Amino acid sequence: MAKVTVNGIEVEVDPSYTILKAAEKAGISIPTFCYHPRMDPAGSCRICAVELEDSKRVVMSCVTPVADGMRVLTESPKIHDARKTNLELLLLHHPLDCPVCDCGGECPLQNMSFAYGATESRFESHRNDEAEDLKSDVLVFNANRCILCGKCVRICDEIQDVHAIGFINRGFDTIIGPPLGKKLDCEFCGDCLEVCPTGAITDHFVRYKFRPWQLEQHQTTCTYCASGCQMQVETENESIVRVTSKEGLGPNEGSICVVGRFGFNHVQTPQRFDTPYMRVEHRLVPSSWDEVLPELASRLNAIRRKGTDRVAGLLSSRVSLEDAYAFQTFFRRVLRSNMIDTGARYGFMNAAIPLVEATGTLRPLVDHEDLLKAKVILLVGADPVAESNITGLFLKRAARKNRAKLYVVDSEAITLSTRASDHIRIHPGGESLFVGVLSEEISSRGNLSAEWLTRKEELFKNWNVDPGVFQRLVNDLKSAETGIVVTGRKMFRNENASRSMINMMRLIGSLGWIEKEGCGILPIPETANDLGVLMMGATHEWLPGLLDARNESSRKQWENAWGTSLSYGPGGGLEQILQGIEEGRINALITIGENPIGHFPPGSRVREILGKLELIVALDMFQNELVDMAHFVLPASSSFERAGHFVSIEGFVQKSVSTMAHWGESLPDWEILEKISYAMGNPMGFDSSEKLMAEIVRFLPDLSPSTRNGEHFVGGTGDIHLVKPLDSCGFANASDVKGVGGLSLLKASGSTPHKANRESVSSRFRSWTEMSRPIMNATSGIPGEGEFIFSMSKSLFHSGKMTLQDPNLKKIQPEGKLRINRQTARKRKIKKGEKITLTSAHGRCSFVVEPSPMVSEFELVFPEHFADAQVLALFPPEMAFSPMTGTPTTHRIRVSLSTETIS
Amino acid sequence: MADVKHAEVTYEDIEEICEEFSNREGAVVQILQKVQEKYGYVPADALEFVGEVLEIPKSKMYGVLTFYSQFYQEPRGKFVLKVCVGTACHVRGAGLLVDKIKEELHIEPGENTEDMLFTLEPVACLGSCALAPMAMVQGTAYGKLSADKMVSLIRQFEEEAEKEEEPV
Repeated sequence: MAKVTVNGIEVEVDPSYTILKAAEKAGISIPTFCYHPRMDPAGSCRICAVELEDSKRVVMSCVTPVADGMRVLTESPKIHDARKTNLELLLLHHPLDCPVCDCGGECPLQNMSFAYGATESRFESHRNDEAEDLKSDVLVFNANRCILCGKCVRICDEIQDVHAIGFINRGFDTIIGPPLGKKLDCEFCGDCLEVCPTGAITDHFVRYKFRPWQLEQHQTTCTYCASGCQMQVETENESIVRVTSKEGLGPNEGSICVVGRFGFNHVQTPQRFDTPYMRVEHRLVPSSWDEVLPELASRLNAIRRKGTDRVAGLLSSRVSLEDAYAFQTFFRRVLRSNMIDTGARYGFMNAAIPLVEATGTLRPLVDHEDLLKAKVILLVGADPVAESNITGLFLKRAARKNRAKLYVVDSEAITLSTRASDHIRIHPGGESLFVGVLSEEISSRGNLSAEWLTRKEELFKNWNVDPGVFQRLVNDLKSAETGIVVTGRKMFRNENASRSMINMMRLIGSLGWIEKEGCGILPIPETANDLGVLMMGATHEWLPGLLDARNESSRKQWENAWGTSLSYGPGGGLEQILQGIEEGRINALITIGENPIGHFPPGSRVREILGKLELIVALDMFQNELVDMAHFVLPASSSFERAGHFVSIEGFVQKSVSTMAHWGESLPDWEILEKISYAMGNPMGFDSSEKLMAEIVRFLPDLSPSTRNGEHFVGGTGDIHLVKPLDSCGFANASDVKGVGGLSLLKASGSTPHKANRESVSSRFRSWTEMSRPIMNATSGIPGEGEFIFSMSKSLFHSGKMTLQDPNLKKIQPEGKLRINRQTARKRKIKKGEKITLTSAHGRCSFVVEPSPMVSEFELVFPEHFADAQVLALFPPEMAFSPMTGTPTTHRIRVSLSTETIS
Repeated sequence: MADVKHAEVTYEDIEEICEEFSNREGAVVQILQKVQEKYGYVPADALEFVGEVLEIPKSKMYGVLTFYSQFYQEPRGKFVLKVCVGTACHVRGAGLLVDKIKEELHIEPGENTEDMLFTLEPVACLGSCALAPMAMVQGTAYGKLSADKMVSLIRQFEEEAEKEEEPV
């Protein structure tokens, strides 16, 4: 330790500390421009100058390490002078267009000039007159306002690993921008915009539309993906102006992705439903709650009286814990139905069911911090940067800065594969075979049965897996001190997904990673609250707390908790719901932000089946195919308008707050259900979202909010000591967790309660029967000559279909383009922007192509968000569901390509 | 200035150049010099390909390219007239040389003639003040110039180019 005196205050710090960090520890802040806590110091802005008392030298505090006995002055006359001169020099070039600058009012350059009184310059000023770079649809670069601190370039390099912008030219002519004078082409995370200390980087969406001091800030949780980012939604007169992030805040540490930062405008577009609608003589007519509710209630009551399981419910997995809890309460208690399902059925359920069976919990074994400590990371069937951006950032850091061995198994090259020690570019569809063989190789300790040996040979021969790399991976996994398997959407949406998940669980079980701290598997949920809605029991399988809904004693426990008897039927998920409707056993359907028609090919009869319903009630924000069929359309509030809790990929329970007034007559989903139940004469009794959450926490204590708001997450980024003790975060102590009837997802234990409890997971895992038997996967074979595999991916610029309504994101990615291998395109003389036609055994569809070096030569990839009926027509019309998890199973299809276009 | 035809660059050619320097990241400046030697300037495609081979982001490559004034992003004339406008040459009438070239070839400093034969490039100092005013063309120094001598030099280069074009 080194003893340092800063302005007379003595502190003891690690010798690796810089003066700046030591001063911070002493509670003294030093002004900075180019310093950023998450990045390596640059020392270029010269504003953090401090004086060493003994040598009288002026040094830059952000780059100078401390020495024992060092005495530092941060505000001496000499330093004041140095900083003032520095500001005078910075202002020589600066246009001083503060009155029209977006940054005015929150500008560190402005504040600093004010603080040091740099009101007049001793030098002849030379204003820069560089034209603004307006080429990008998102960001605007104004070189005149730039002070060349380089923070934007560095955050793009060091944190985002995107390298989209750089320094151009030299000396006085230096500017910052994208290379070759081209339009900015990047992930549009906007981190550069966030760190810019002046108005040199602004964005097109809000330029000249606000004054920072007039904005009201709301700290909230982003509800797009499961990263659980903390962000500031800034409003003026109840409408959202912009979204910003705060350095160090939340699991995202101050970075947010393009969707979080710019995807806020769809909630304030006139296309949104602002009033309830009721179908009168085949037409939807605007109505009012007072009119709609009694009518709807009486029709629901009539259907309810026919028996149990008569009404089905489909819930989006983007809703809050409160909404999901109210949803299952409404169905099980009020409507006596267990015919409920969530959006997680389309993918994440393939991971959730095996996970719950093997470990008894959906809480993750590992979090983002563990990724930074892992020595070996196997990433299979996921593109974290697009699916859960912050998970992607941590993986980038793990591979780049912490030198973790990253193995990527993917047919496509993804952002992370450039950082991988090995990229196993398996042919599309081979992931499940790969996972099966790998799992058996490790579980059998290399003594593969004859049958498995054949599969292994098949893997090497047909699926583009190099035996040497495979062996290296096996050795690395076996010898790894700490290791993590990361998997995601591409794996979940594979026909063999649940088997692969079981195989991955076997793999980590055989490696001993279930018991070992810091090791495990991290499945990336597909939406913000996949984990939460499942924990709330919004599917037919589980009651709240992941208790078996068909088990008599679990039902008893909840009957005791609620003080009411539960008489729902056996119920079922999406498959059984569609079947039940077809057979006339289900008469009504209530959907919350879900549209099953959009998920199935037009020839699948889903529309016809739904047409048999007596009653369709759609709670939604925008028009869609189901809304067109609905008898009642009820306007739902967006996540920007209502409060609620969400469970992040790391298991943090975080709050999203109300940031603007409810749009028109719209209401939160839970409140709509409450109002219906009241009108039905069977009220649930939830009168506020706070009370709803209180009930959830009373029964399931370890779902207490674990937001770590307002604090730095300890990690690779530094040791800013603001971490609150965990007790103050509202976690119930393990010994206090009694709950009602012994209910609890998992008892919270001391140190890391957001993660799964290893002890209980290990003991559950030991009795997991699947562990002992290997599962064989059927594989669909590689494409033949002239054939391609058509698959759909998640775009970085959209989240589900809702963001297609967002004016900002639509500007960033207006249409879906079919990505094709660059060489293949060249060979077939297909150019960017041209139209081609794909033909499958089931249909034809035209696409605009975009050649890409990332896509493999066997594959054609299209962003799922833009998959309309025409695209889905490529898939077989039969609705097939996985027997194990009830998930729809068609995600990829063989196609042939022609350059003719359909007339 | 007329639209210039950009050089056609293949990835293989660039790979070959990078290979000469064992694909070392540290040799990026030498590699770019070699590229410029081959094409007369550094075409945008070449810059991208070098980046791809050396695994250096495009933004960083562009940073290097624009940092050094020795690199050109646009095609240049066959004869680059580097006219010294350093102190010594300036006093001895370098300005007159530049003016004469402007008048004769109808180009401004930094520009190419339409036939891509000449480029005018005033430079700070060529280190041969004893020969002032002087200029350098294709690596050869021409000293004690005057406006008239400059014109005859230009004629000489034009003839040279014509001869080269004639079939043998």
